[in-house]
Amino acid sequence: MRVTTRSSATATMRGLETSLSRVQELQNQLSSGKQVERPSDDPAATVSSMKLRSQKRADEQYLRNIDDARGRLSLADDALTSLSSQIRRAQDLLTNARDAALSDDSRAAIKAELVEIRKSMIDTYNARWIDRPVFGGTIAGENAVDPTTGDYAGNDAPIVARISRDVTMRMDVKGTDAAADVLPGILEQAAADVGNDNQTAIADDQAALSDALSTVLRALGDVGARGSQLETSEQNVDSERLDFVSRISANEDVDLPYAIMNLQTSQIAYQASLGAASKIMQTSLMDFLR
Amino acid sequence: MSGFSTMNTAISGLLASQRALDVVGQNVVNANTPGYSRQSVRVSSVGASPSSTLHTGNAQAVVGGVQIDTVERIRDTFLENTRVAAGAALEAVKAQTSALKGAEQLLSEPGDGGLQSVMDDFFNSWHDLAQKPTDEGAGAVVIQRAKTVTAQLAFVSNGVEERWETSLQELRSTVSELNQAASDLAKINQRIRESHVVGRPVNELLDQRDMLVRKLGELAGGKPSVQTEDGMVSVNVNGLALVSGVRAEQFTLSGGTTLASALATPADPPVVTFGQSQVSVASGKAAGLLAALKTDLPGVSQKLDGLAVALRDVVNTVHAAGSTTTGAPGGLFFDGTGASNLSVVPTVTTDLAVAATAGEIDGNNALAIADLGIDANAEAVLGPGSTSPSGLWRNLAANVGTQVQGLERGLEVQQTVLTTADIAVESDAGVNLDEEMSSLLLFQRSYQASARVISTVDSVLETLINLGR
Repeated sequence: MRVTTRSSATATMRGLETSLSRVQELQNQLSSGKQVERPSDDPAATVSSMKLRSQKRADEQYLRNIDDARGRLSLADDALTSLSSQIRRAQDLLTNARDAALSDDSRAAIKAELVEIRKSMIDTYNARWIDRPVFGGTIAGENAVDPTTGDYAGNDAPIVARISRDVTMRMDVKGTDAAADVLPGILEQAAADVGNDNQTAIADDQAALSDALSTVLRALGDVGARGSQLETSEQNVDSERLDFVSRISANEDVDLPYAIMNLQTSQIAYQASLGAASKIMQTSLMDFLR
Repeated sequence: MSGFSTMNTAISGLLASQRALDVVGQNVVNANTPGYSRQSVRVSSVGASPSSTLHTGNAQAVVGGVQIDTVERIRDTFLENTRVAAGAALEAVKAQTSALKGAEQLLSEPGDGGLQSVMDDFFNSWHDLAQKPTDEGAGAVVIQRAKTVTAQLAFVSNGVEERWETSLQELRSTVSELNQAASDLAKINQRIRESHVVGRPVNELLDQRDMLVRKLGELAGGKPSVQTEDGMVSVNVNGLALVSGVRAEQFTLSGGTTLASALATPADPPVVTFGQSQVSVASGKAAGLLAALKTDLPGVSQKLDGLAVALRDVVNTVHAAGSTTTGAPGGLFFDGTGASNLSVVPTVTTDLAVAATAGEIDGNNALAIADLGIDANAEAVLGPGSTSPSGLWRNLAANVGTQVQGLERGLEVQQTVLTTADIAVESDAGVNLDEEMSSLLLFQRSYQASARVISTVDSVLETLINLGR
């Protein structure tokens, strides 16, 4: 083939451009740390990366849901613990009231304290987590138990949260499971019975109270169990999230040693083509003519 | 054979050498001129007439010597045509790639800045609202995130529209450049013909002509047809004559001037026309731009609109099934007909249908909307055979990505093809300085030798003249 100034220049320039663009591409990859920066870099990797990122974000949301659920459950846990100690106090008071020799003043004092305990219990039942009752189900109002009448106003419908892709969990406590429907009534009755010194009725109230206590303790156990379920779910979701993170990285990020080695090789190739170009262009017949 | 005729022969040698040296000089100084074709002098010997002798005194007799037939321009038409076609194909791919790459950049995927993450955030915000159905803050976040989704969709959609308009503008200037180049070529053709008639050298004009033909190829895939005896070249675009001899036609750009018109039914995309008839441009920059304007960018825009409608429908369906915290039935959540005009209807938390049961505050409907972020749930709502909004977005990214990848590979291939064609043309038509140097020596020597013939004849004649003393 005939070689001319411009044909060899064109070929040389093309060679230089090719190796330089390879060097630049690798430098870009190294400086951004990304192998897939645009969909056209690798359409398949882009799609799976988008999906993985979406799932990672979902997992982050589930972790936030778990945090929220834990907040609400711990509020329920506190309320139930306080309820159980209040029931125990009421039980003690009723035991004292069983003493027939009790003075009227003492009886009046016990009655007054029972009335107070009832109020405080209603307050406890009306525990709210961000304006929503913890024991009231899905009622529109904010109170699970009517503060004046002591009637249970809630329903049994659950408030649920998604704690992983496939699992939802109830985050509140059913009012009836926490004796919210009976306890204020029992105390009201007990206060009246103590006031009337009706010993048989007081005995009935004691039985009702101990039933209520076991209901509350069961609810407490249930809340505890859900708490540990949250822990398990949190660990699972978090490890899944980390897995997604590492898969995203594997998908998108540059394999450093490989890229650096490639860069070295292509830099050498570039230098070699520069060297060759300078040698070819250097000499001509003119150098040998006098 | 006489002394005088030998003198004339030698002079013809001097002249031929001088002319050849001229041509070598022209070649050397133009070694790096783009589009220059090397020239060479074609000479032939002239036989001496046997009757032309000194004593016959026949002044009209043809003398011997060398004569310059022509200054040849070396450029292979076949190689040049291959080069024109390669240039045209490269420009087509280049224009299409650059238009579509612009659309690809708008997607900002994969990453945390694209529509995928904005949509995820939107669906996830419903999870928070599901747990705090009456919380003003959570509701405000949902509405804000929804607005971010519509803004992002509008950003991408408007961006695609802008690319479309930029491409149209580019096509417009391509067509006017094409018309200019066509009329330039016609003028050059005219000058070549005129020069040819009066026998003026036309080689440099032919170089200019070939450059213009290349340009017509690069702009609209113009193909040169066989050149005529007098050096004129006609160019046609897909069979339609753009330049025929000294006459240049003018192409115009007609059809729709908005992206909406390219999407309408029946579609009215921009077209290149000649008079009333449409020119099907198959190569060159114009073809690449037309492909982007007719199919690629409208396709992206259409997919975006499809996504916006799917998102609107899926969210609205579930939203309408629920009721607000005040017990009112859930109304529209998204309103609009496409990616560019999707809007968020609710303005306050109490407009959001969080509850599944009217009159209660259960957050279950909010949870149902949050769950639409999972593809299968969205597809169940949209009906069989449908694709979730996220799925549509991923498909769009994959489509654009694959197309750009294909175009970029095509670009690389075409670049190589063009370089090969360029090298082939240049190695035929280009100047080799070593070759020119040796020609320089050759013609210098031949000039010296011819001069020596003259001085020798001179001394011979002197001897003859001195004989009579």
